[in-house]
Amino acid sequence: MTWRAEIEDIHHRRKLAEACGGAEAVARHHAAGKLTVRERINALLDPGSFREVGKLAGRASYDGQGKLAAFEPAPYVMGIGRIAGRPVAVGGEDYTIRAGTGFGSDRRKGGQGGFIEDLAYEYRIPLVNLIDGTGGSVNTARRKGYTVVPGYGQDGCERSADLLGMVPVVSAVMGTTAGGPAMRAILSHWSIMVKGRGQIFAAGPPVVERAFGVRLTKEELGGTRVAVDTAGTIDNVAQDEEDCFRQIRRFLSYMPTNVWELPPQIACADPVDRCEDALADIVPREARQAYDMKRLVEMVADQGSVFEIQPTFGRALVTALARMNGKVVGIIASNPMFGGIMDVKAARKQGHFVELCDMFNIPLIFFADIPGLMVGAESEAHAILREGVRARYIGFEVRVPVFTVIVRKCYGVAGGGMIDRRGLNFKIAWPSANWGSLPVEGGVRAAYKREIESAPDPAAREKEIEEELRELASPFRTAEAFAVEDLIDPRETRPYLCQFIDALQPRLRTQLGPKYKTGVRP
Amino acid sequence: MAKIEIRSEITGTVWQVKAKPGDRVEPGDTLIVIESMKMEIPVLAEDGGTVQEILVKEKDPVAEGQVVAIIED
Repeated sequence: MTWRAEIEDIHHRRKLAEACGGAEAVARHHAAGKLTVRERINALLDPGSFREVGKLAGRASYDGQGKLAAFEPAPYVMGIGRIAGRPVAVGGEDYTIRAGTGFGSDRRKGGQGGFIEDLAYEYRIPLVNLIDGTGGSVNTARRKGYTVVPGYGQDGCERSADLLGMVPVVSAVMGTTAGGPAMRAILSHWSIMVKGRGQIFAAGPPVVERAFGVRLTKEELGGTRVAVDTAGTIDNVAQDEEDCFRQIRRFLSYMPTNVWELPPQIACADPVDRCEDALADIVPREARQAYDMKRLVEMVADQGSVFEIQPTFGRALVTALARMNGKVVGIIASNPMFGGIMDVKAARKQGHFVELCDMFNIPLIFFADIPGLMVGAESEAHAILREGVRARYIGFEVRVPVFTVIVRKCYGVAGGGMIDRRGLNFKIAWPSANWGSLPVEGGVRAAYKREIESAPDPAAREKEIEEELRELASPFRTAEAFAVEDLIDPRETRPYLCQFIDALQPRLRTQLGPKYKTGVRP
Repeated sequence: MAKIEIRSEITGTVWQVKAKPGDRVEPGDTLIVIESMKMEIPVLAEDGGTVQEILVKEKDPVAEGQVVAIIED
């Protein structure tokens, strides 16, 4: 007696699962410019590293002799694999099978909670969601014979919430996504969407048309232009699926496997003492003129190490993962090309990025050139104060070391949000730096109203006071008072920061593990 | 020939108009300069092409997301 017949059956069923939704459905999917979920997983992971779980799950039917007559695989594929040699959990909807909706299994494989999320949680390894599904269907009621309350049974998102405090979670929107799968895209540390292929919304065009009588395309309602560039619902754009996998691998290269480990360090080929001469002149003397902050950051960080998060949203601020002497850092830099002003988008962007870095023990470097919070009726109507103060509050809760390089302006409530008051409060200024509650130009008339008005020549007096205050605003005076910790030659920024980033590594090891938040965010 | 709408990233007023209809522009060229929060903020051509229309003039107020120019590539 042997079990070879049954073993043969396992292999046969695996083959059936590999066929996804059948040749015709796969051809349609390919024609739409999309890879199947199996092709996606293989393209993402280190070659040959995918170990699938639950490949035999699906709907089977049997003939009169009890032999398998037909088999429809589960519309979700998942398992573990490796990215750059490190273990990850990965899963995704199979759109070629009933558009990736549920299949009435005893236990969910993943996608909206399920085995793969539980696995990432239990093993403390990163999770990658390759999302290509629209979630619930009214068919469920027919199948069950009753309707269910949202968040019923297997559909909860509690585990997804737990994961956000424990292991890196990445979501990629690879097709049209709504409902539960869309929620999973948001419940991630970093998300990406494939241009022209991915859309995400609370509900799609037919629902919108019924509600408002407006006919929109999927792309107009939830394409990258809206969901990424305008709303920041999703973080980054991928030009195609290959680019998407490349960016996912890149993002994870900066992340530790979980909150109990430090982010991966690599050997650094870029000399630590590289002092770029161009840094001496990059900031224009004319305060109104913009300059290229991204170039500045790239000259300071390890060559080729800067990876921008949310590059097209809230562009007044640049947020990027990078390396200094091979060690991961989070960079938050004002972008004078967009005014460097903190508007509501920049505030949201800063808050999220600071939390991300703090969660995974990534020290922060601010490059400040910030005139303040965005003023005006529109900005106030969008709650700039609340958003700006919230960003600052998130900064108060940070436990990783923080540096601030004051490149030029650092003013007001928003400027304070780029300074670490909780920890060492380490501020490094360039000679181009100036700071205060508000810039001299705007403040003199308000603060010295009576003195100016009672002067024989008010305009001349105002100018005089301005001159006097401007002289006091020299960063050398603040450095003499040790009210700024250092005033440096801009060209030294890289060696200076690298040495401190090296020196703080022991500190990071003392604070590994989950971070419990206290207090109520404003 | 695709029409590309160029939008202001920020609320402010038009400080300078640097390009005019018919101009050839390269990616990264400044089309318009917006003044906001005492800063001069360039509105750049993200792709190269020919300027078809400039929809604002100096001192005009502009809102975030407002289309300020149209380029044809």
